[in-house]
Amino acid sequence: MVNDSGQLYTMEGVAAGIIMLLTVYIVISTTSIYTAGDTHIPDMQLEQLGSDVLAMMDTPDTNGGTSELVGFVRNYKGDELRGAFIDNCTTRSGDPDTGLRAQVYLSYRTSSGGINTTPLSSPDPEFTGRENTVRVTRWVQLTGSPSLPTSVPGDMRRSSLQAVLVEVLLWRA
Amino acid sequence: MACMNEDGQWIVLMGLLVALGLFFLALIINQSALVGQTTAEGVLEFPKNDIRDLREAVFDYVKTGRLEAVQKDIIAISLERKNAVVSFSAGEQQDVSGRLLRPVTIHYNNGVTEYDEVVYY
Repeated sequence: MVNDSGQLYTMEGVAAGIIMLLTVYIVISTTSIYTAGDTHIPDMQLEQLGSDVLAMMDTPDTNGGTSELVGFVRNYKGDELRGAFIDNCTTRSGDPDTGLRAQVYLSYRTSSGGINTTPLSSPDPEFTGRENTVRVTRWVQLTGSPSLPTSVPGDMRRSSLQAVLVEVLLWRA
Repeated sequence: MACMNEDGQWIVLMGLLVALGLFFLALIINQSALVGQTTAEGVLEFPKNDIRDLREAVFDYVKTGRLEAVQKDIIAISLERKNAVVSFSAGEQQDVSGRLLRPVTIHYNNGVTEYDEVVYY
């Protein structure tokens, strides 16, 4: 110590420094950056779009007729189902939305009472499992007569009326 | 500034007010991002389409003769694939305003959302 004057200035300086540091900390921690993925807004839109498309495909063209969706599931045409689904999702003006991908699964109760989920469409070669996917589902009732084709999984009940769940995994590549 | 120079205090004071103003603006911008997030998450969390679809499936079940196998399918697959406890039944036909309808009771609970309904179909 050369001399002991100026203590008040030192205290004021320390206080000002603390206040400035605190302000910077509060301001930086307040403005966290939200990306589109964080806010789930595209997920919400995608899920609603997929649900609407499935509901539309499950609506018969005529009263008492069979819907497109039931036809695809009954004949076990997963790839055709996916193609029609993607087509319906992208029928809008403007953006062709070519990045839209889908994978169709079928859940059913086996003859022994367990639940099985099997891919209905052939696997997407670009699917890594880390995509930001949403899942939309639709109940489908399958009549047993005429009995289901032999291409369905062996443990599926082929000859009786049953309810199965069509699940579509939807994402943008 | 203690005892050094008393000038410019208004400038310093206004500077402080502007800094405070910027701070609150940043708070508001931050909240606006949160609004979109909570809305989207609320919509995603709420199983509106699941419940609508379940109602249609139950109506199909009633229409096609109330088969026990179909009821078991829907209950078991709901639990396995949607984590939802589902229960439904249809009573005997009643005269409702001149039409013969069945009272259909539907219960749905996925742990977050609960839905109960008695509808005449």
